Amino acid sequence: MRTITLIDAIKEAMQEELRTDPDVFLVGQDVRGGIFPHTKGLVEEFGPERIVDTPIGESGMYGVAMGAAQEGMRPIVDFMFGGFTYVTFSECSVSTGQYHFLHGSQRALPIVMTAGVGTGQRLANDHAMSIHGTFAHHPGIKVAMPSTPYDAKGMFKAAIRDNNPVVIPWHMGIMMLKGEVPDIGDDYIVPLGVADVKREGADVTVLANSMQLQNALKVAEKLEGEISVEVIDPRTFVPFDMDTLLRSLEKTNRLVIVDEDWESGSFASTISARVMEQAFDLLDAPVLRVCLPNMPVPGGYMEEYVAPNPDKIEAAIRNVCA
Amino acid sequence: MSTEYVMPKLAMAMSEGTVSQWLVEDGQYVEKGQELATVETEKVSYDLESPNTGFFKLVLGEGETVPVETVIGLFVDSEAELAGLDTQRPAANETLVASDPAVDSLTAAVAPVAVQSAPVATTTAVTAPTATTATGGRLKASPLAKKIARDNDLDLTVVAGSGPQGRIVKRDVEAALRDGIRPISVVTQGPLVEKARIPFKGMRATIAQRMVQSQQSTASLSSGWESDITELLAIRKRFTARAEQLGTKVSVNALLIRALVYAIQQVPVANSALVGDEIVIYDSINVGIAIAMPGQNEYDSGLMVPVLKGVERMGLVEIDKALKVLIERARSGALAADDLNDSTITLSSTAGIAPPGMNTAPVLNLPNAVIVGPSTPKDKPVVVDGEIKVRTMMPVSMTFDHRVLDGEPAARFMKALHDCLESPELMLA
Amino acid sequence: MSLSKQQMALLFTNLVRANHYDKMMYRRMMQGQLIGFYHPAQGAIAPGVGACTFLNQDDNLNPHHRGHGITHMISKGIDVSTFLAEHTGKDTGCCAGRSAWHFSYPDHKVYQQSGFIGHNFAPSVGWGWAAKRRNQGQVVMNCSGDGSYGQGRAHEAMLFAQNWKLPLIFFCENNGMAIFSSAEEMHPLEDISSLAQGYGMPAEIVDGQDVFAVAEVAMKAIERARSGQGPTFVECKTLRFNEHDIGTPDLKGWEDRSEAEHEEMRQREPVHLATQRILADGILTQDEIDAIHEAALREIDKVETFADNSEIARPSEEELMAHVFAP
Repeated sequence: MRTITLIDAIKEAMQEELRTDPDVFLVGQDVRGGIFPHTKGLVEEFGPERIVDTPIGESGMYGVAMGAAQEGMRPIVDFMFGGFTYVTFSECSVSTGQYHFLHGSQRALPIVMTAGVGTGQRLANDHAMSIHGTFAHHPGIKVAMPSTPYDAKGMFKAAIRDNNPVVIPWHMGIMMLKGEVPDIGDDYIVPLGVADVKREGADVTVLANSMQLQNALKVAEKLEGEISVEVIDPRTFVPFDMDTLLRSLEKTNRLVIVDEDWESGSFASTISARVMEQAFDLLDAPVLRVCLPNMPVPGGYMEEYVAPNPDKIEAAIRNVCA
Repeated sequence: MSTEYVMPKLAMAMSEGTVSQWLVEDGQYVEKGQELATVETEKVSYDLESPNTGFFKLVLGEGETVPVETVIGLFVDSEAELAGLDTQRPAANETLVASDPAVDSLTAAVAPVAVQSAPVATTTAVTAPTATTATGGRLKASPLAKKIARDNDLDLTVVAGSGPQGRIVKRDVEAALRDGIRPISVVTQGPLVEKARIPFKGMRATIAQRMVQSQQSTASLSSGWESDITELLAIRKRFTARAEQLGTKVSVNALLIRALVYAIQQVPVANSALVGDEIVIYDSINVGIAIAMPGQNEYDSGLMVPVLKGVERMGLVEIDKALKVLIERARSGALAADDLNDSTITLSSTAGIAPPGMNTAPVLNLPNAVIVGPSTPKDKPVVVDGEIKVRTMMPVSMTFDHRVLDGEPAARFMKALHDCLESPELMLA
Repeated sequence: MSLSKQQMALLFTNLVRANHYDKMMYRRMMQGQLIGFYHPAQGAIAPGVGACTFLNQDDNLNPHHRGHGITHMISKGIDVSTFLAEHTGKDTGCCAGRSAWHFSYPDHKVYQQSGFIGHNFAPSVGWGWAAKRRNQGQVVMNCSGDGSYGQGRAHEAMLFAQNWKLPLIFFCENNGMAIFSSAEEMHPLEDISSLAQGYGMPAEIVDGQDVFAVAEVAMKAIERARSGQGPTFVECKTLRFNEHDIGTPDLKGWEDRSEAEHEEMRQREPVHLATQRILADGILTQDEIDAIHEAALREIDKVETFADNSEIARPSEEELMAHVFAP
């Protein structure tokens, strides 16, 4: 196996799917030039017909993907930054998620939406927000986010092959994270809807994803010998792999959810509620969430006030294990 | 085919009961008539006899309280059926798991026999300095701790919590289960060395609640005087001389009760109770007899008030015999719920225990309007017909509820009682 | 471009069919035999018929929401018996009874009917983009009202379409009215089509009460699109006889529309105008016209029988849940 970055793993996934399926195409703004590395150079292999730059108009840009998907194609939409999905949210979330169901299951909408998300770049506001929780709120859309290069490639390929809309952002804080990935052409997917126990432990389960998964793993290592931390990566938020989480809770009886999103109405809240509903008797302590406080993400050096980090995760772990 | 076994309703006033101890193992084959369980109500504890023969599945955990008519066990005919029984308990029982233990302990008194005979295992565990109840008395335990306790029939109210804010967590329950019987721990180091702790629960808590309720809800007034019982003792001597013939050695208490009957006949309002918005004056004279009982440990005491009923229709010997049966039943834990009901007046004697001549001020035993408290007599020089003579004088105290009767009838009642004690021939009147 | 006798007869037939269907929907709504609400098309039957009668089956169509697009779809040749069934919550409805009237006929390339006004614009770019890429001569007939051009999405779509020369017709049915607010109050210029100028897009204005005139303009725009010359903006000046939807007052601004306005509108009733023209031009005889009406009524009768004899769609929650995602 090779060692490559997460962002290159995403590029390879798109590249391989573009090669094998002529209905797959990429649409976005300035994707040909490659504002982020994962689209850079694709136009040279696939041409501007399949690596499509649009005028700045998210509705029109997303409309290309949505209309083409209704026409039976398999678009990948690159929103650049996750916050930009809000500009065309009624199309990319409400309509896209509901049409298959509402229209009597006549037509699937195989659309992949991706974007850079998250803190760590001190960019503030719409350049630093997460979108997975918002999309998870709306029915009919699968939502996933990779935490490692291996997962990134496998999950992107699974998303492109899925017949449903899939929102699969990637965290800018780990875009250069390196990890082992099978050789090019060594086809594999990481199926959507399957969580991954990234580290086994006995005392507390930490559910964390993406950059926060990496933070959680650091904390787990630090606490080794003192508190045995099991770290679970949900990988997919919708559909969520509840079984893996419950199996872990049967062992640890304690849960910390690290979710880089505003806490109010967040994905962390949803999982916390489901655990309470489905596994009340497994809990030996209240479920704790490490999220962003409901404060706009400030830029500059104030970002650390809101972003989850290893210290906050460790404090939560110690709290539930007290 | 399984047959349900429910918490029996053992008295009109019984709304719920607690299985303090199962006397059979889960799944054991039991014979009809075999003792199944010790059940406590607010007032008393019973050993229940099995109504059926068969394999018996325990449904309710020890220490758990359920409403009457709730299924607490199941009879099945075969071991195969036993194995097939759903181990889930009926939902009705679940509701009590989270009930307020502070309230429970007030309403579900532990009868003395239960305290004596119930193995400490069911009620004993760790009592650590950490409080397990928060403000308002709610038991703080994690969902998991509650489930483990439920599955193992462990009473969480006796488990100390070591989690945040004193929450009982898994490790506390596991420790309690693993360590099994452990004496209530006391602090044995530092400037405040403890000898023992008495859990403020069960009968202790019930007595406290009753006493406070009596003090707070009545207009009680106490008086005391001395009665010359020299004659009374002389008459008793004549009775005791015929003990073999009468079948009992007539006690002073029997004479006291007979004197109460006389006094009540003179002043009926003393034999009464405030019931709702009416004062009810009774023809029946049912005397509540305060009896000291063993407590939860050697430093604790208990108190029960079984009722000797219909004494107005009884002769002295009959009263004495009935009184002795009642006391024996109380001490052996054989009281029935009805034995504790329907008193109309209370007798609380400290004679023989208190120092001679001591006056008491007994606390009213609700709903009775009068409680009479004779104490240890003493030989004293008194003036009789202008001469100083040595007589046996008994201090007698009485507390009455001024809401029910005023000073004038109370004084007349005390005078009538006094007269009868000094001139026991009035008992024949 | 002048229409053949046959084309005129076909347009007239579709106009009559659409008119009777719309009246049937109106009647059923008033009788409590429709679910939800209905936005009647009376007064504005002609634009949809003119725009869609000569579309191919593989052309994309976004139907205007007035009449819930019945005039457009009936003219495109869609079997609309499932349209009423959907409006009555039946399992034979075009969307298994799930959509109320937010339906879809994907096999006829009618992908959506949205409650978000102007929600056609974004995906219409994609339909046009896909058609251009396939290069098989498909066009996109993108019908919506004057009000929908208040949406920024309309402008993005015009920009994208003209920029990429997409085979897209911006077919604006301007009845001068949003729910209560008038176009003259909400748009700076009298003609919505003047917006096209900014994008360098050709535009035409046509009398929307004249189904033949509409069809001629539409056919020209369709031809431009098919031949790769890009989008056209077609503005039909039309009318709305009824209130916005049944049960809403018939206001202009905040006052009742005047009887004089209604009287003036009635003079411009499209079936009446078409009948006069078709008799005058000797396209059809009165007997033939009567037969067309009778056939249309029989068709409506069948549609109603089909819907009324269908079962109410009421799957279990679990069954329904299984349809949130595609396999």
